[in-house]
This record gives sequence, C-alpha cells and structure tokens, in this order.
Amino acid sequence: MGRTLITITQLLNEIEANLSAFRRTLRRSDQYVFDGLLASARRHIAAIGQAESLLPFESALLAMLLEQAKEIIVLQQELDELKKRYE
Amino acid sequence: MNEATGWLLDVYADEEDGIVLWLLTEDDRRLRLRMDFDVTFYATGDFGLLRQAWTYLKERNVKLERAARRDLFLGERDVLAVTTSNPSHLPKIFADLSRQFPSLDYCDADIPLSLRFIAQTDAHLLGRCRVKLDGERVRSIESLDSPWEIDPAPIPLRILTLSPDENPAVRKPRRLRVQYRQKEYSLPLEPARAFLISLKSDLKRFDPDLILTDYGDTWLFPQLKIWSQESGIDVNPNRDEGKRVLTRRADSYFAYGQVIYRGAQAHLFGRWHIDRCNAMSFGEYGLEGAMEQARVTGLGVQEMARKSPGAGITAMQMLTALRSGVMVPVQKQQVEGRKTLAELIRADRSGLIYQPIIGVHGNVAQIDFSSMYPAIMVKHNISPETVGRVAEGVSRPVGINGAPEGLVPKTLRPLLEKRLRLKNILADLNPRDCRVEILKSRAAALKWLLVVCFGYLGYKNARFGKIESHEAVTAMSRELMLQAKEIGEDMGFTILHMYIDCLFVQQEGFHRPSDFTPLMNAIEEKTGIPIALEGVFKWVVFPASKRDGRVPVPNQYFGAFKDGTIKYRGIELRRRDTTMWVRRIQLAALEILAMANTPEEIAAYVPNVSVHVERARRDLRAGRVPLEELIVRQKLSRVLDGYKSPSPAARAATQLKAMGREITPGQSVEFLFTRGGSGVHAWELGEALDPGRLDTKRYFKLLDRAIRTVLDPCKRSCVPERLL
Repeated sequence: MGRTLITITQLLNEIEANLSAFRRTLRRSDQYVFDGLLASARRHIAAIGQAESLLPFESALLAMLLEQAKEIIVLQQELDELKKRYE
Repeated sequence: MNEATGWLLDVYADEEDGIVLWLLTEDDRRLRLRMDFDVTFYATGDFGLLRQAWTYLKERNVKLERAARRDLFLGERDVLAVTTSNPSHLPKIFADLSRQFPSLDYCDADIPLSLRFIAQTDAHLLGRCRVKLDGERVRSIESLDSPWEIDPAPIPLRILTLSPDENPAVRKPRRLRVQYRQKEYSLPLEPARAFLISLKSDLKRFDPDLILTDYGDTWLFPQLKIWSQESGIDVNPNRDEGKRVLTRRADSYFAYGQVIYRGAQAHLFGRWHIDRCNAMSFGEYGLEGAMEQARVTGLGVQEMARKSPGAGITAMQMLTALRSGVMVPVQKQQVEGRKTLAELIRADRSGLIYQPIIGVHGNVAQIDFSSMYPAIMVKHNISPETVGRVAEGVSRPVGINGAPEGLVPKTLRPLLEKRLRLKNILADLNPRDCRVEILKSRAAALKWLLVVCFGYLGYKNARFGKIESHEAVTAMSRELMLQAKEIGEDMGFTILHMYIDCLFVQQEGFHRPSDFTPLMNAIEEKTGIPIALEGVFKWVVFPASKRDGRVPVPNQYFGAFKDGTIKYRGIELRRRDTTMWVRRIQLAALEILAMANTPEEIAAYVPNVSVHVERARRDLRAGRVPLEELIVRQKLSRVLDGYKSPSPAARAATQLKAMGREITPGQSVEFLFTRGGSGVHAWELGEALDPGRLDTKRYFKLLDRAIRTVLDPCKRSCVPERLL
C-alpha cells in the first residue's frame, strides 16, 4: 500500500533473474557457490534497505563480502582452536 | 415535559420527522422519538461559481449563507453554507448541486448522520443518555457516559437468532431455527404462508432489539420479501413500521492486495440485523467487538459489523474534524509531494524486517512494542497536516512536536489509551474469569481499528491521508527498532530476529521473564513507546526457505513458551487455504514437539511425530477422514473468463456456474481434489462424492509439505552462529 518502489527482496529477485544466463553458463559446482553468494546477500536485506543507496546492488555485494569475511574469521578461529589443541 | 433515561439504539433520518431516535429505556421500553436536526454542507471554490450556485439553490427549501470554515490543509476558506432542516433531503440537494457545479469543492456533504448527531449532542450510540421530551419530540438530550469508559453499563438487549438448517448456497433450507433466550425451536419454511404468519407473530411477541442471523443478508431477508409478495402476507422485520428493509447490493473490491467480496446487506430501522455469515470480522470479535467498535467510531452496529475497520477509523476522524470545526472534504485533495529519486528511495520504505538466524533456539524472549505505529503517531504528532515540515536539526520529515495536536493523533489518543487499559486489566485477570472473553473481544475490536489507522494515512482515497505522514511513521519505526537493537546488543543480548514491531532476543543464562525486564525498561525509556513481553520461548524455530536452505524466511516461526503454549506464524496452520485435516495434523505435530523443554530434546520427539503422521496417512487411505476435513477453500481472484490457465478454485467455480451458481471475484470456493476430469469437485455441488475418487496423492503432498515445515528445522539442532 502506498509503495512506489519495489522492495529489496523483489530487487534481489530481479537481479537473480537478470543474471540467469550468467548462472546457466557456470559449472554445476560453481552454480551452487553462486547461489550461496546471493543467499548471503539475502541475509542482509534489512541492512541493504537501510543503506538508502541509488545502486542497492553495491550494498548487496558488500553484504556478500561481509558473509565471506565472517566465514573466514570463523574458520580462522576454528583453526586457532585446533592448533591450540595439538600444540 | 417528560423525561426518559436509557441507551441510544439507533439514529436515522426520516422524511417526515427530521431525525428518529430509538431509546431503550431503563424500565425496558423501546421509545421512538423525533428530533429537529439541521444539517449543513459547504461548497467552496471560484466566487463566480459560488454565486451561480447560490442562485441555483435559492428556490430550494434551504438556508444559504456565506461563512468562513477551516480546511485542514489550507486554513480558513470562504464557503457557501447550505443548511437543510430535513437531513433526508441532503443527499439529493448535494447530488443535484455537484452535478451542476462539478468544479466546486464540497465538504461535510457525505457525513453519516450518526456522526453529526454525536458531534452536536455528545450523546453517542449505545451510550446512556437522558432525554427531555415533549410528547415524542426530544427537547434536549444529555449524555450520561462516554464511549471511552472501560466498563460501560451493559445494554439489556433482546436478541433473536434465526438460522436455516442448510447453507442456502448448497442446499435448499427446509426449516428455520429460532432461538430466543432459553427457547429454541424450528419453523418449517413450507407452506410459506404458515411460516410467514409464525415469524410475524414471533417478531411481535419477542420484539427483539437485535436479529442475529445466518445468511440473513443474502438469503432470509431477500427471500422474505419474495414470499411476502407471493402470499400477500406482509412481514416487516423493522421495528419502525413506516420503514422497509434497506438493502445494499453485493460488491467486490480490491484492498490489502486481494479481491474482497461483500455480500448484499439488509439493514433494519429501530432494531439491528447482523448476518453472522456476512459480517466482516464477526468470527474474530463477535457481537461484543462490533458493539465496541460502534461505540467508539460513532457508526451504527449494523454498519460497523459489515464494514472494514478502515471505515470505522474514517468515521472517527470525521467526528474529530466536526468537533474541531474542520471541514471534511468529499474528495481527497492532498496528493504526494514532488520528490527526487534519491528522496523517493529514502522515503518509500516499509518497517524494519530482519532476516532471522535460521534454526532452533532455546530460551528466547519475544518482546513487542505495544500498538507501535499508532503510538508513534500519537507521541510524535504525526498527522497529514503536521508532516512535511522539517524541524530544525531533524533530517527526516516527522511530525512536529510542540505544534498543535494533529487530527490523526487527536483521534487515536483515546483509542490507544483505552486499548492499553483493557490489556492491562486482562493481564491482571484470572484466565477463567467470565469477563475475560468479553474484554478480549473488545480489545481485539479496538486493535483492528488501530491496525488500519496507519494504512489509512497512506491510502489513496483516505480523506485525511497523505503519503508523507505514512512514510514518517515507518521511518520512525525503523529508527526505534534500531535503537532497541543497539540497546539489546549493548546489554549482551543476541538479536535473533526483528519484525516490524517485535524483537526476539536471547542471552546465555536468561530464561525467566524477569531476566528481560531491565532490557525492556531501557528500550521503553529510550524510545518512549511502551513495550511488553509476549513470552519466553523454551525453544523457537526460524525455518529456512524451502527453495534454498541457506536463505532465512522473515515471516515464519513456531515455538513453545515455558507454559507449553504454542505460537506459530506464517506456516500452513495459519493459512486459510490449508485443509482442516492438514491443519489438525500439523498442530498435533507441534503439540508433540512442544513437550520438549530444550532444543536438544526436540530430536527425541521427532519419531512420535512420524508415527502420528503415518497413522493419519493410513486413515486417509482407508477413507476414515471425513470429507469435510479435506475441503480446500480458495478465493477467486478474477472473473472466470480472466483465467488463462484456471486455478483449482476457478475450475470448481466453473462447475458451480454450470448449475447456475455465480461466483464473483473475492468470493471463496470450497472444493475437494479428485482424480481425473478437472481434478476438483466443488463442495457446493451438493451431490455426494465417491471417496474413491479423492486424489489422495495430492493430499499426501499437502500433508508432507506441512510436516516438513515443522520437522526439517528440528531434525538437527541449530549450530549457534559464531558471532564475532
């Protein structure tokens, strides 16, 4: 009601649709990773919306990077714990 | 001069008597009273046209004068005031004038009479009042209570209930059940003559204040008219014998993203008629709720039971405007202000919806802002006429604190306060207390008015709506939610989810309600909006998307509170198109899982759910599930010709059309899934379906989907996300 612009969820759906040819060309194993990237952007829909950017895909890319960085730090922590255990 | 004290039942215009009031007196009499009542509407615009309008109206029996009246947005305006001493003449005078002078602006021309009456006399519908009488004519009226009273004196209504033995849309009814106080019997509908004589005598004998029916709007009253004409026996269900039943045609309209069907209506004079099957939210808050809405909105009970809460909010705003000397425009005049693309992107947004952390979480508190949006409107003075002006130091267009209270906050303040007081009383009552159900219904009725008041700020046809005020509310709500999140995180809580006005929070070692009190106090102090603890879940599940297990779903969750109560949102159980059978089994599955006290214990109960589901599947295969439980109910979203590939509902509607029954958009169609043919069997076809034709595979699929929703996230406990 009263909304002129599409929501961030709809926007990500559109981006996904626009990239369908790109996705199709990827190997099956890469497609899974690619879907994961988009899924990680979807975890931050609220933040992408709050960014009020004219180019929300920039914020979506940042959200993907954030999830990647998180993953690296978590893995790093696990690695440190394992190292401690075997030292 | 006589005097009478009682409850005001009805007010309407009468060709002969000005206006008619019906009073239910303290000594159980029903008085038909008359009152002189002038009504005025205004025309404004080009002076030359106003002069022509004056000349046009001069010959009519109206009083004309030039006056200055306040427009909410434009301030004082010169207007032509047109006053008639007979309110029943106003619609015709206005229709003629506006047809002749369409470019003039008109105000106060379509205000319901009951609102004018309340604004002028302060005596509200269903309220107690004292009248001074000269014969039947009211000389003065004094209100003895207020619609905002928490515990108004109950009206001793006489209620007559009439219901046919069959749904007339499916089968021809043969008897009419009659219920009055402790008496209950049924009248055969044939022969019609005998039936009409009996019904007429019952109406006279019981003299009900309220006729509560099933299918009264769509079948009984239209049918009574036909039978009366055929038999020559006139049955007038009105208490006012000079009036006939007022009928309104059925219609379909688009609202809240869906097509809604409203059946034909039959309104009475001097007594009320409510059709339980055609009353908008009767199932949710019943007669008590409809009466509560009528009390606070100023619209009659018959109107309020059938109309959307939006009509109630509009009426309340009109009443505030009348009392404040502000004109009510017939047509909305405010359009959206011009914005750059960047401004539009900044403004055109909804409330804050987070993506929850997928999985099962233990000891989670759900805390909700109480009536958040109306509370924001009231606290920050957000109203169409107060927004748009940017206060110094504030980057967003919000209401001007310190400016005179806007029309919308002024309307909402008492409503909001009343609902909070009702909720507080309910919280202190023993759940077995006999007042609980009534108070719940009244609180729910007020809740719906508060829910729609926000939407109406941005509704394109709302008289006092302006999209910027709508946007200001969502902007403020997002800010408050972020403040709440920051406070929670500062206090060591993990914010699992945020959804518009509620937060799900968790902290190691916190599991009692009192553990979360400091957090709520801090949020309330910072935001100024009351916040309440919905409860502490012993475990709650935020499921992943069925399409991609890595994507969370913001509007779905289910869980069990510490006291064992289950709460679920967005899953099949909440959907209207889910069959009773699937709902029953999904609920049973949740009840089994609710026996687990921690997320870790859930896995132990999953096998019990599987056993239960397997038994349900066997029952269906063996034909032991009643067909009624397998009915699927779906709405028709367009006319039948509009479907390129007809939905199951459209295919069922086509079957009904073949037997002469028309289904219009917005109406629900009930059907069963069958093997072969069109794949559906319309329930209203009437003919019995061979259970062997049921498409059991389709039903198993529906069941499996519902059970997967509940079990998939529970099969492995959530691995807590390692937050940095």
